[in-house]
Amino acid sequence: MTATASTNRRLSPQAKTALGFFARYATILGLLAMVVAFSLLSPRAFPTLNNFTNVLNQASLAMIIAAGLTLAVVVGELDLSVGFAASLHGILVTGLIVANGLPIPLAILIVLVVGAVIGLVNGLIVTKIKVNSVIATLGVGTILTGLAFAYSAGVPIVAGVPEAFLQLSLGRWLYGVPNNIVVMVLVVGGLWLLVERTALGQEIQAVGGNPAAARLAGIDVDRIKILGFIISGVCAALTGILLASRLGSGTASAADSYLLTAFAAVFLGSATLRDGEFHVLGTLIGALIIAFGFNGLNIFGAPTYSQYILQGAILIIAVGLSSLGRSIAER
Amino acid sequence: MQPVLSAGMPAASPFLVAETIEKSYGGVQALRGVSIALHAGEVHGLVGANGAGKSTLIRILAGLVQPDSGRILLDAAATSIPTPHRATDLGMSFIHQELAFVPGMTVVQNIMLGLPKKSRLGMIDWPAIARDVAPVAKRVGITAPLFANVKGLSTAENWLINICRALIRKARLIVMDEPTASLSASESEKLFAIIEDLSRSGVAVLYVSHRLDEVLRLCHRVTAFRDGRSVAQIDKQELTRAALVQAIVGGSVERLARTATAVRQDEVALRVEDLARLPRVKGVSFALRRGEVLGIGGLVGAGRTELVRLIYGADRVDSGTMTLAGKPFAPRNPAAAVRAGLGLVPEERRAEGLVLTKSVAFNLQLANLAGIVRSPALPLIDYRRREASSLAAVRDLAIRTQSIETPVGRLSGGNQQKVVIGRWLLRVPKVLILDEPTRGVDIGARAEIHRLIRDLAVKGMAVLVISSEPDELPDLCDRVLVMAEGRIVRELAGDAVTRNAIIEASYAEGPTG
Repeated sequence: MTATASTNRRLSPQAKTALGFFARYATILGLLAMVVAFSLLSPRAFPTLNNFTNVLNQASLAMIIAAGLTLAVVVGELDLSVGFAASLHGILVTGLIVANGLPIPLAILIVLVVGAVIGLVNGLIVTKIKVNSVIATLGVGTILTGLAFAYSAGVPIVAGVPEAFLQLSLGRWLYGVPNNIVVMVLVVGGLWLLVERTALGQEIQAVGGNPAAARLAGIDVDRIKILGFIISGVCAALTGILLASRLGSGTASAADSYLLTAFAAVFLGSATLRDGEFHVLGTLIGALIIAFGFNGLNIFGAPTYSQYILQGAILIIAVGLSSLGRSIAER
Repeated sequence: MQPVLSAGMPAASPFLVAETIEKSYGGVQALRGVSIALHAGEVHGLVGANGAGKSTLIRILAGLVQPDSGRILLDAAATSIPTPHRATDLGMSFIHQELAFVPGMTVVQNIMLGLPKKSRLGMIDWPAIARDVAPVAKRVGITAPLFANVKGLSTAENWLINICRALIRKARLIVMDEPTASLSASESEKLFAIIEDLSRSGVAVLYVSHRLDEVLRLCHRVTAFRDGRSVAQIDKQELTRAALVQAIVGGSVERLARTATAVRQDEVALRVEDLARLPRVKGVSFALRRGEVLGIGGLVGAGRTELVRLIYGADRVDSGTMTLAGKPFAPRNPAAAVRAGLGLVPEERRAEGLVLTKSVAFNLQLANLAGIVRSPALPLIDYRRREASSLAAVRDLAIRTQSIETPVGRLSGGNQQKVVIGRWLLRVPKVLILDEPTRGVDIGARAEIHRLIRDLAVKGMAVLVISSEPDELPDLCDRVLVMAEGRIVRELAGDAVTRNAIIEASYAEGPTG
């Protein structure tokens, strides 16, 4: 027996507390460290109100879609259709305005309803037919991509997009806050309130935490899951609309990459403040990390591909460190 | 402690000793100095209330957690168990209440999981392995073919597979945590025979159980835990029920006095007519009255849990009707049943009762959310009401927790069960169904839970209690229905509700036709 050789790797309670703290705050510390580092390295370009507004403005679309996705993962499912759906919504909204001549508010309303319907379909497939949500939403997403190409005949809708629609995303609110940021704050704030502060939010969290227990406690689990998908679908629609407005066109596949960004934000968020639980505020912080990381790389002129490498790397490092910290602290 | 010398048992020095082990989780001191000594070939009982520290000690022996202080001696040499792998290497094997299996695999594959396997030409030689395994499987009484899929096997058979696994690994110690919790009487008998056989062949068994009859019958020596301390080691010749209870409780247990109910028990709350879902429930009829505690007894597998799931809308009914407070009642799902005025404390509290990562308050309020919002129009949680109502429940049920924000997973089994019951006290259903309300719960908490259930009936609630423990229903119920083979075979009321009558009816043949 290796009696003497095996020294005990016990941790003092203080060390455990410190590790637990680290696990929960690692992502926030990382965000702050990144902001400080970029500020020191590029004191003129990076730490300006203008740049920060710009970063937030850019990130708003990702934050909206990621906040919606958070609802789907909080109820214990995945929604892989959000990026493809947002692409379709972009084409649909420009098409309705340009080709069908619908008033802008009506076009937006229709697209939001379509977003809700897509969420409803996802939810019904998952809860009633009991298809695994990864498969269901991947399938639906693929169909949506096909529909997007069919609707646009593969040609981006560029000509004839009215100025008023462009202003939706380019315009500014009081004190010059960009509209995108206003919409983002409303969506993220609203969803945070819903999940964390309402009775329905408690049911949503219970369904994600233990569906069997939630069901026997009298919660309609299927309804709650469908609601998660609908919210995810509506947020995807919102992002699709704002992106089309920003780009001034409806283009197939334009928003596809938001899927990856949204997932990265959601999982970074799950490592933030709480032990591996998904939550809206965490997602917001996750999206900020990605946004500031991209912005820093841009300022230093790093090539575009490095953004993908950064996004993948921070995700694995942040979630990995926090999971490692937790497992050590629990020993 | 006394010199260890009793007849029929090797008097050698212990091979495994744990001394003055301490362990705390966060701020909670789970073990405050626990010692235990295990001898080869002995069946060593480990008893204690829930939260007394039994599971923590097992987790330490299994290498799942590390003690804060104290030492572990194996064959008189200090050792440490940093990982579960190391525990296996040291000859320890653990069989838990929730058995871990790979469902798609065969019996022999599960037995050999993680063990080095014979191979031929680089391929695993299953026939050769099966030849080696077969005698051991026979010894522990595995009747299923070795190449059968484990999916359809019973809990009892899964236990046997686990024991077989331990023997193949040449385990010196097998730790069994509540082994008979989900076994029938005859399955338990088989297990006892195997344990005695193991003991004769020199394997030590650490037998953790709340069922004192089993401990009395099987164990050569018992260590009792209380509040994180090992308070007594009792040898075979001094082993009596009274001694065990005394060690576990540390004082005298008060016998539950049956309180008369204030409500006249003539108003029917729930009427069930010929309810069936084949093959487990074959036409059940009864009436549950307000202010009454109605028990459903019978053996595991008699269809009791399945019946409750039908009443609660968790499974679809084949045929039959129900009325709740005189109105037709056919819940589509549990949500509808709860809206209509039912509540259920399920059998598996960790899997079906609680969101373990969430707080005590979260779990308490889960069925009462409408009661803690600011207004129906603005359903924001009113945190002052949430706190006040949660604190009141914690106080009324004497739930032992650091705070109402503590994750419920950190509480002991009895306290977790009180949280599930507390959830329904906050909502006040017309009919409350409790499935095995005191399974895995210690004697003290059990008495408290029984008192709570009686109180609910006194206040006019209709209570339906399922229990596999013959002692429980006579303590608790005004009336008992005994189920066998999916039917009610006997109704016992008043003085006829006795342990023996329930057991006798459970084994009685069901009505034919």
